[in-house]
Amino acid sequence: MEIVNISTDVLIVGGGLAGTNAAMGASQKGAGVVVADKGNINRSGDIGGGVDHFLAFLNEGQKWDTREGFLNYVEKIGRGTGHLSIIDSVYCAELPDAIERMAQIGTPLTQPDGSFFRTGSMGQPGTFWINFNGKKLKPCLGKAVRKLGCDVLDKVMMVDLINHQGTVVGGVGFHIRSGKFYVIEAKATIIATGNTNRLYENPRINPFNTWLCPFDTGDGQIMALKAGAALTNMEYMRMTLLPKGFSAPGFNALVGMGGRFLNSLGEYYMEKNHPMDNRAPRYEVVFHTLEEIRNGHGPIYIDCRHLTEKDLAHLMATLGYDKDTLPDYFEQRGEDLKAKPIEITVSEGMQAGPTEVTGSGIKIDKESAATVPGLFACGDACDHNRCVHGAITGGYKAGKSAAAYAKTISRGENITNSMTREKIEWFMEPLQRASGHPYRQIEDSIRKIMAEHVGPRRTEQALTYGLEKLQRIESYLDEIKANDLHELMRTHETRSILAVGKLMATTALFREESRNKPYHHRLDFPDTDDTNWCGLVVVCKDGNELSCSVEPITYG
Amino acid sequence: MPPIFDMHKCTGCGLCDSICPADAIYMQTAEDSDTPYLKYPEECWHCGSCRQDCPDEAIEIEFSPDMLCI
Repeated sequence: MEIVNISTDVLIVGGGLAGTNAAMGASQKGAGVVVADKGNINRSGDIGGGVDHFLAFLNEGQKWDTREGFLNYVEKIGRGTGHLSIIDSVYCAELPDAIERMAQIGTPLTQPDGSFFRTGSMGQPGTFWINFNGKKLKPCLGKAVRKLGCDVLDKVMMVDLINHQGTVVGGVGFHIRSGKFYVIEAKATIIATGNTNRLYENPRINPFNTWLCPFDTGDGQIMALKAGAALTNMEYMRMTLLPKGFSAPGFNALVGMGGRFLNSLGEYYMEKNHPMDNRAPRYEVVFHTLEEIRNGHGPIYIDCRHLTEKDLAHLMATLGYDKDTLPDYFEQRGEDLKAKPIEITVSEGMQAGPTEVTGSGIKIDKESAATVPGLFACGDACDHNRCVHGAITGGYKAGKSAAAYAKTISRGENITNSMTREKIEWFMEPLQRASGHPYRQIEDSIRKIMAEHVGPRRTEQALTYGLEKLQRIESYLDEIKANDLHELMRTHETRSILAVGKLMATTALFREESRNKPYHHRLDFPDTDDTNWCGLVVVCKDGNELSCSVEPITYG
Repeated sequence: MPPIFDMHKCTGCGLCDSICPADAIYMQTAEDSDTPYLKYPEECWHCGSCRQDCPDEAIEIEFSPDMLCI
């Protein structure tokens, strides 16, 4: 096995939207940067194929359209799930630069005439969504990062961090085509690996048919946890609504343009269930949709027939920006938004933030630093960034902070000695086994258990038994056989998915209330209890066990 | 099982292999040029990146029966 040793100022694990913005932030502050990604940073991550929305306040005159108006919105839909002071620092303060930066790299958030096309949904007090053509956003970011001179390691999967005397000093990974093993020493390390998908049984059969990127498998969160970092908001099982057979994004566009949710009795059920009707917060729409299905009122549809030709044309265009192949899907399936309602359903569950403005994952502070020295986090892998706007602003912030931290570090000794040959060979071991279980068999079992025990209707008993089952699966992890490097990558992903599942079940069991139902809905504690639970469940490793505590969030 | 490669248009440049986030597309060596093939069809998440970036417009997206029928 060839081992490549690299030394840098800032190592970025994951080159999606957050990671590439982090690379720009660190590089523009003078740091040497290495970005490692399982894919190619030109097209990797959640928005690799394109995106159509960015959430922003623009100070265009309305009270809701200000920093204060935005933070009021965060408090309203995300009460107890994020510190406003951190969101103010990693998002609000970074927003003007982020909008300018997108224009500079060649993907402006404006329409061709220079105006912003704005829509509102998901409980917003106004129109926070900006619609834009982001089909080339990732290629533009990839080009910008390479132009800045960052060392880009495409097709390199990072599998662990290096911890030296309680400080994160880099990470290790392997090239998924050549098998070269990388040992990267870094003064600061940023995790930007996204959320966790492929975690729950998929209603559309294929586990790779997911809303968010199916190659985001919680790897960064688990590396950080093992290195001693705390995570928060891991109990929330995020879901959305999607076209029946294709887990493609588009919810905000469909609802933002005026789509109405319809049950099989012909009732527009959100209009009787919530004062904000179809534009209620996403978790409310998902909750009421699940209730409709449970009551036998499914299948569920979204009705866009009443939209004007102009609005329908905009909708179809913007759906194609968000998911390049969605218009093809509608065409091949014979769907016509103008002619009939489109059948939709609730998505697979995932580990991700409980709202569009509060996250889930590595606990960060106002400087995007994790709770372990040398480690930073951004994007959907951390607890105070979420969605496209969070990744772009929070990524850049993490990059700047990591660069500033790296400047304070001076090292003469080799501090990667702890990564011995024996440890390195352990990561490649599934390739050496003469026989063993396929990763997919293990992963399918995890998804089944998560759906049945850690789903949208949770109880102490189901969660406890679910944890026991997940624990049992763990004993098979060291018996997975990988036939090639591609399967070795998937095998490491399976390990992360299982670890995230255990974190989710553990924290869901700990939080004895319900919050943002159905994302955390305890049937045995069905009410939201702001007296005892208005805050983050913080989880970290305590020896071989997980330790949970509550960090209260107060509002002025 | 998207994507579908039109071998009459494909020049074997390998860009689709390079950018596929699923690591699903690989190149195989042929006599006159390398050609792409879908090694892990089930893992495609239909992002459309390969079609968008193909310089030869040699890629079409064709959804599987389960996705179109359920």
